[in-house]
Amino acid sequence: MNCPIKTQENREWLVEYSAGRLDRERAVMVERHVEACPACARFVEEQRIVWNALGQWDAPELSADFNRRLYQRVDRAQPSSWLQRFWRPLVPVAALCLLIVAGVVLRAPIAGLNPAPSRGESVEPEQVERTLDDLQMLREMALTPSQEAGTTQPM
Amino acid sequence: MPQWVNEDMGAGSLALDCDAELMLRVRDGDGASFALLLDKYRVSVAHFLYRMVQDQPVAEELAQEVFLRVYKSRESYEPTAKFTTWLYRIATHLALNWLRDEKNDRAQERLDEVAGDAPVREVADRTPSVEHQMVRQVKLDEVRKAVAALPDKQRAAVLMHKYEEMDYSQIARVLSCSESAVKSLLFRAYETLRVRLAHMA
Repeated sequence: MNCPIKTQENREWLVEYSAGRLDRERAVMVERHVEACPACARFVEEQRIVWNALGQWDAPELSADFNRRLYQRVDRAQPSSWLQRFWRPLVPVAALCLLIVAGVVLRAPIAGLNPAPSRGESVEPEQVERTLDDLQMLREMALTPSQEAGTTQPM
Repeated sequence: MPQWVNEDMGAGSLALDCDAELMLRVRDGDGASFALLLDKYRVSVAHFLYRMVQDQPVAEELAQEVFLRVYKSRESYEPTAKFTTWLYRIATHLALNWLRDEKNDRAQERLDEVAGDAPVREVADRTPSVEHQMVRQVKLDEVRKAVAALPDKQRAAVLMHKYEEMDYSQIARVLSCSESAVKSLLFRAYETLRVRLAHMA
């Protein structure tokens, strides 16, 4: 047998041999080689340390309610009754109806608001006239204090 | 031999993959067969996931997801490989995705927290049994950290090889890579572990 470490052939045999998983025929071959090869002997020794260390690592136990939680999720994942199966295809139709209703509702206030601009247009001259009046009044009020001030200055 | 037994299952498993047969019954609506598969594999799948993500609540959540996916995909199930290959492919996929998303940051933090809370630092009593327990705990922490430090795929390969006792060809099918790639993955992983755990003789 060629040295697995030097030739990099059948290196996995050393791993399996260290784990005691190699078939008998190969195990005998590896054993003979390991007895004569210090490098492979060291490999096997170190690999066994790793193997034993990993073997001490226990995983924690599962929660007692693992199955119950899983079956709840399974139940949620599938339609629970024939009624659900019947209604499921109707969901797109219902969504379409909702869209139509929403369209009608949205369109109604727009139609109601449409006359508003025309009313606004008819009111506009009056508003302008009123604004002009207000401005005139403000101008007059602004002039009065300054005239008063002008009369009092010489004193 | 049933028609559905595929050559991919390998010579060792041609003696009817009972699990695949059970899964076919699940496909036909047999809930009892699903319960049998669940009872048979929930512990090993959960333990595999625990060692992958090293977080018990996350491992249980992922294990639930594995079996939920098995159930959900029952209608499209085809026994083209051993049932366990399919099962562990789902589990590995979920674990690798979780690890990718978490990128070990949170997992490492939790690991440190657990190590920090371990009795080894809290117990003042120095009776031999407590010391023995302390030494054991320290060793276990070292093992967990050494495994956690492996690249994700190497870790998955080592865990399937060591704890699930899968052969190279099955690991290759689970990881969707060649058998020689698995040999290389395992050799590198064990090489790293030999260096890190050499003092544990």
